[in-house]
Amino acid sequence: MNKKFILYAVLLAFSVAAPFLFPNYQTQLATLWLMIIVALTWDMTGGQMGYNSLGNIFFYGTGMYVCAVITIGLYYDVGEWTNASRTEIFTFSDRQYFTGMVLGILGAGLFCAASAYFIGMLTFGLRGPYFAIGTLGVAIAAGEIVSNIEWLGGGQGVSMPIYNGDFDTFKTLIYFEYAILGVGLFVFLNWLYKTRFGAAINAIRDDEEKAEAMGIHTLRYKLVTWAMSAFFVGAAGAISAFQLIHFEPLETAYQTINLGIFMVVCVLLGGKGTLWGPVIGAIMFQVFKETTWNYFLGWQWVALGALIVIVVVFFQDGLMGWLRLKRPEWFGVKVEQKTSEAGA
Amino acid sequence: MRTTLFSVATLAFGALGSSAIAMDCETITLGAAISLTGKYSTDGVHTQKGYEFAIQKIKDDGGVKIGDKCYNFNVVYYDDESKGDRGATLAERLINQDGVQYMLGPYSSGLTTAIAPVTEKYEIPMVEAEGASRSLFNKGYKNLFAVLSTSEQYLASAITLAAEMAKAEGKDPSEVTVAIAVENDPFSLDVRAGVVDDAARFGMKIVIDEKLPRDLSDMTGILTKVKLVKPDVLIVSGHAKGAATAVRQIGEQGVSVPMIAMTHCESADVVGNFGDFAENLLCSTQWSETLTYEDPIFGTASNYHEEFKAANADYADKTVPYQVAQASAAVYVFKDAFERAGSLDKAALRDAIAATDLMTFYGGIKFAPEGNNIAKPMVLRQIQGGEYKVVAPSAFASDKLVWPRP
Repeated sequence: MNKKFILYAVLLAFSVAAPFLFPNYQTQLATLWLMIIVALTWDMTGGQMGYNSLGNIFFYGTGMYVCAVITIGLYYDVGEWTNASRTEIFTFSDRQYFTGMVLGILGAGLFCAASAYFIGMLTFGLRGPYFAIGTLGVAIAAGEIVSNIEWLGGGQGVSMPIYNGDFDTFKTLIYFEYAILGVGLFVFLNWLYKTRFGAAINAIRDDEEKAEAMGIHTLRYKLVTWAMSAFFVGAAGAISAFQLIHFEPLETAYQTINLGIFMVVCVLLGGKGTLWGPVIGAIMFQVFKETTWNYFLGWQWVALGALIVIVVVFFQDGLMGWLRLKRPEWFGVKVEQKTSEAGA
Repeated sequence: MRTTLFSVATLAFGALGSSAIAMDCETITLGAAISLTGKYSTDGVHTQKGYEFAIQKIKDDGGVKIGDKCYNFNVVYYDDESKGDRGATLAERLINQDGVQYMLGPYSSGLTTAIAPVTEKYEIPMVEAEGASRSLFNKGYKNLFAVLSTSEQYLASAITLAAEMAKAEGKDPSEVTVAIAVENDPFSLDVRAGVVDDAARFGMKIVIDEKLPRDLSDMTGILTKVKLVKPDVLIVSGHAKGAATAVRQIGEQGVSVPMIAMTHCESADVVGNFGDFAENLLCSTQWSETLTYEDPIFGTASNYHEEFKAANADYADKTVPYQVAQASAAVYVFKDAFERAGSLDKAALRDAIAATDLMTFYGGIKFAPEGNNIAKPMVLRQIQGGEYKVVAPSAFASDKLVWPRP
């Protein structure tokens, strides 16, 4: 217990110190937190509950847009703001900026949680690959719809207000927003997975019919799980909107083929259905991605494809699953080696 | 043996000589994220070629002279994969990790929109040549300068031409019907906005108003509609890939509209790729090699055209796209501004760029306080017999409009 506490304290201290230790890599570190958040939330349904969603990117994109509408809409007309031919220049005071930011991030999270609940009612009737494709369809359709709403800037996207202060302060701020959200999510999941609720969603993954027969209201558990995960993705999307300053619907907000797939790859790399798997997977993936995208430019997608193939073929349970097999004692599993040898 | 020794000696001397000249000039490093892959790669490559050609020309001319020193430009490039968020990340990388203090723009309004907030926050002056949407110039950016005309001007003159043709036929311009098919991106949406405004001015009716699909690879559905509705004018805008798709499918489907106007004909090389299909198309251009602009480095517009073709074999049998010319003009703005600033300080440089009043082979360059160039008109060319002929505005027109398109 004590050992675990020290480990957590060290990791937390490192997270706080990281942006100051590596000031030039703040954006990459912030993106790492984003990857951890989307991987952990994907694992809530994909790993713990057995529902592989390919549409979680919907909440990311929707979070961006809801946040933009709230932040801008508090002080200006959104249609005016996004109009390319306007000549007036709109500005945000510090007070307006931070009020808009807090309300925007919270509002995005809540809106996404609510939308997950309603979309879930339609899609949770689907199982296995049908659920994956169904949710993917939702995300793609949302991107196309939003890209045709002129009020939201259509295909040209939305430019968020810009922080008036120093840019390095801004980046540190964004880093800590992600970090707080990420740590909050981790602590929350660490608690949640140990409760009856955690056991119930694991039961749904293992055998949904049996779970239903045991009196678990499976649909309600599924909806609540997805809504909780959507809250965090939506809030992360909102922070991204501020971080990127400008975003557009198809390739930034509802980026199904990038972040939408990366979050799944992170979880597969680290290990599905574990608490640490998505975190470790996200770190590995982010390091891999930054390396290949910078030093093997032109081959980065090939390298990513190769990585996915290797993981799927040789490490189906991810790094955590592989370790559990090789070093079960690290996970508190006792193996009586002598007996098995004697038996052989 | 003797001859070998001799030639080695001359080589060595030659190398010494040229390196001595090169060593006289120090290097100014510029940064650029460019779409070398993805849907904007054709235009991205044009842009890069334009930058590189200008850098070489300036070097040959003795470099950038600041005080008693001389400098040559060098550009650190990254591929943004035609993706905005990637572009923004790369801009940060250029500034933070590569220590770049001055930026050249990326290709397209979308990418420029994504990168501009970053350069603005770091107060890095960016001279860009390929982002034309007006949405770039209403954000209050102080470090963004564009050498090209804004995008609402691209095809608006085609509407004026259509109105003139209607009048010549004894019809009222308000009877003219317009079909619009544009990409859903900042640039094309702004092109569309310009057309819609001008059509409204004449009371013309917009009968088709569609968006091209995001990968710009198919517009057969829209063209089927065009064949049924029979508009008088068809407007297409979707960068090089959109132009190529449009010309190919208009030809294949035998779509006949009296006037078809589009952007990016030259950069998609529609004449070389599609031959007769491209005949009589109207193409908007920022620059034409037939215009009478001139400067001391590149000479006249036609001189630039010839020299660029001579230096780049793969453009030998094509019309050099304006994307190339304006990229070169952006580098020239940097040279001019550095020399006037008389220092490498980015704040002094920014002020010097803002005060630019320069005549170039590409046209006049003078920036509005918002950063867009207000000293250069757009022209409209028509493909006649496989050649690009200026037909509007009338002050620059070299040939008469062929109308209606057969």
